[in-house]
Amino acid sequence: MTGEILFQADNISKTFGGLKAVDNVSFALRAGIITALVGPNGAGKTTLFNAMTGHLVPDRGAVTFLGESILGLPHWKVARLGIGRTFQDLKLFSHMTVLENVTTATESGSWLWQTGGRAAQVERSARIERALDATQLQRRRDTRAVDLSYAERKFLSIARIMASGARLWLLDEPASGLDRSSYDRFLTVLRNEVRAGVTICIIEHNLDIVQSISDRIAFLDQGRLLAEGEPKTILSDPALAAIYFGERAP
Amino acid sequence: MATYIINLAILIGINAILAVTLNFILGYAGIFSLAHAIFFGIGAYTAAVAAMKFGADFAAATAAGMLVSGVISLALALPALRVRGEYFVAASLGLQMLALTVFSEWKSVTGGIGGLIGIPPPRLFGFDVSDPVLFLALTLACLGVILIAIRALVRSSFGRSLKAIRDDETAASALGKNVALLKTLAVMVSSSFAAVAGSLFAFFLSFINVESFVLEVSVQVIAMVIIGGTGTLLGPVIGAAIVLLLPALLTYLPYLPPTEIGSIQQMIYGLAMVLLMIFRPSGLWGYGSSQDRKRAAP
Amino acid sequence: MVFLQLFLNGLQLGAIYALTAVGFSLIFGSTKIFHVAHGSAFAISGYIYWWLASQLDVAWPVATLAAVLAAAAFGLLMERFIYRPIQRHEASFFTVFIAAFGVSLVIQNLIGSVAGRGMETVTTPLSRSVEIMDGLFVAPISAISIGVAILVFTALSYFLGRTHVGIAMRALSENPDLVRVFGLDPGRVAQWAFVIGSAVVVPGAIFTAMTAGLNPAIGTHVMLVSLAATIVGGIGSVRGAACGGMLLGLAENLAYWKLDPQWSEAVTFVVLFAFIIFRPSGFFGTPTAAR
Ligand SMILES: Nc1ncnc2c1ncn2[C@@H]1O[C@H](COP(=O)(O)OP(=O)(O)OP(=O)(O)O)[C@@H](O)[C@H]1O
Ligand SMILES: [Mg+2]
Repeated sequence: MTGEILFQADNISKTFGGLKAVDNVSFALRAGIITALVGPNGAGKTTLFNAMTGHLVPDRGAVTFLGESILGLPHWKVARLGIGRTFQDLKLFSHMTVLENVTTATESGSWLWQTGGRAAQVERSARIERALDATQLQRRRDTRAVDLSYAERKFLSIARIMASGARLWLLDEPASGLDRSSYDRFLTVLRNEVRAGVTICIIEHNLDIVQSISDRIAFLDQGRLLAEGEPKTILSDPALAAIYFGERAP
Repeated sequence: MATYIINLAILIGINAILAVTLNFILGYAGIFSLAHAIFFGIGAYTAAVAAMKFGADFAAATAAGMLVSGVISLALALPALRVRGEYFVAASLGLQMLALTVFSEWKSVTGGIGGLIGIPPPRLFGFDVSDPVLFLALTLACLGVILIAIRALVRSSFGRSLKAIRDDETAASALGKNVALLKTLAVMVSSSFAAVAGSLFAFFLSFINVESFVLEVSVQVIAMVIIGGTGTLLGPVIGAAIVLLLPALLTYLPYLPPTEIGSIQQMIYGLAMVLLMIFRPSGLWGYGSSQDRKRAAP
Repeated sequence: MVFLQLFLNGLQLGAIYALTAVGFSLIFGSTKIFHVAHGSAFAISGYIYWWLASQLDVAWPVATLAAVLAAAAFGLLMERFIYRPIQRHEASFFTVFIAAFGVSLVIQNLIGSVAGRGMETVTTPLSRSVEIMDGLFVAPISAISIGVAILVFTALSYFLGRTHVGIAMRALSENPDLVRVFGLDPGRVAQWAFVIGSAVVVPGAIFTAMTAGLNPAIGTHVMLVSLAATIVGGIGSVRGAACGGMLLGLAENLAYWKLDPQWSEAVTFVVLFAFIIFRPSGFFGTPTAAR
């Protein structure tokens, strides 16, 4: 199971009016591990996510999930295949309660009712409760998302993806701005999920977090994938550190 | 006097159906339609024609109206919902103007400007329900059924998906929701329920013409929803009552020339819309409190 | 010959529509505010001109100036007292739209109560048609309105392309930082967008007063056309709005060739629907995917 290639991007590029936001990037996400996507601001990390989820169609390149091409599929179809994502600006359903936010994540059917009958209903509520328990949002279940604290909102975005049942999670800076104790809790949640069979790709700026959680690192700068490999190798590479901390190599 | 009150109550009931059905798309799905009066009209014309030409009773005529209205709403929703919200507003405004022209020009069916005269008294399962009290009961029953249906829809997964789309379309689609299909269905449900109001209206007056389906009527229904509060179940009903009682109250004001009442009424809605949006965007009875605003301010 | 006649009429109407749509598009492009009360600026300035020129016999340059000031003031007041307070707490499309819609309702009925609900026209010798060819009638006003439209567009393109405020106005919605780089205040630039966007409707309003005439509901009609032209031209593109307005004016008049006049407004929306279905990004717009 672990090691199998779940997701693969081949030579994808995306330009915004002359700016190469993603430039000929190829990389793979292996099942059952956490891959960190790091790089300075504006490196193209979010754009790469958008290209992976069908939010943007890359100008060139191929994207495959479980061996099938997902290039050109609309956002929602990609999601139904099992690729979930969070957003840098969270995009919570702000006027809905915590419970509704999580519940709606389990309901992707578009008709007036969900298919699957009673059994599916039971399975969905189990997922909802599990997500609320894992993120410690149980006692806030009837609070509207706008009324949550900053950390609670971050956890809600994780609860939502957890409830959705996605098997590949693309997390866009999910831990930024969290205090020490919250992010420890946060990392525990992620580790547990990976143990339960989820594959994660996480964009993260804090290299301590990256070091402590990731199994592999992909390093992106100015739209190009500069390196990909074991955390030890990448984080100890002085050339990458120089780029990351803003001292451009000559 | 009693007849006057009963008639007013019937009109409030009919308008409450319009307001509740518009609120379903506006308040829960965030879809802004300026063509609600058209679906009201389609329901009215279809029911009238069904009753006059085919002798249909109230139930059959209403069902026909709902069907036609639902199908025509697809013509609006399918193209316009693929793109951003502004387009739907423009397209619905377009439909409002286009359909009104059709109402007044398609003389063989709609009777043109003169309208349809002599719609037979309503019968339901063989009984005559044209007596004002019975008709009021029928209207309230329709309103009740629609309220229950909408309440059930709003609390179902469908309603949650619509609210999710209203709050954040991108996040909703990232959770696997087919936004265009969900919105299209919502518009269809809303339009076919609006046709029920049209059918009631046609049987109530036994006469209809284009005057009742103009843009001002769409705007008046929007005013009901806004004043009552978007995204609540009963708010629009209260809104409908307030808006319809307004002219009755205005007639009691001295020195007000009767010709100006319509105009003053519209100015009052207009002003109410502006002030509510500035000071209380969720409407008088809407969800959300001042807390929203405090939070939103950084 | 009928075709040529309708084509000329269409050009004139198109010029008026283009001017109105350009104002709407300029405001939307720079502030992202869907200013549906734009039609009210048209109605207000048209009625001010009619009142001064036709009722009080004021000289036309003075009446024109007053109309421009009224339109600009309306735009400015809308920004200052309606949109800004709303955006301070909730900037959703919905709230802004309803408020603007409410304002246009108030203005329309206010005009109706004050000036009457009938059709009002400013009579001028300029709108008297002369037969320049067999069966082809042209009024001087047609040439004037097309000329003025071209003049206004040239001035506007120069302003948007060459001046700091103009460039800042185009950059405002995408990149407010750029505005600050020029040393301008984004709030101020938004106000300028409203002032200029509202003022450019004035020629259209005056020409309409001189030809087809004004009624209190004209604002709604203008709003419809501006919306349609903006979508047809591509949301956010000023040049597109001008072309869209011209296209709609032409389509509306050419429709008379085969259809009864009642269908003219319907034609506008057939064009609009066609664009929404087949080319939702309009002439010059960028594709409309969500951000
Ligand atoms: N829709 C867009 N249109 C134009 N330019 C864009 C768009 N989205 C991203 N960009 C540009 O592409 C580049 C990469 O952006 P991206 O958001 O992918 O960076 P990022 O690595 O996620 O940065 P951050 O760490 O700040 O989130 C940036 O220069 C950005 O301005
Ligand atoms: Mg990013």
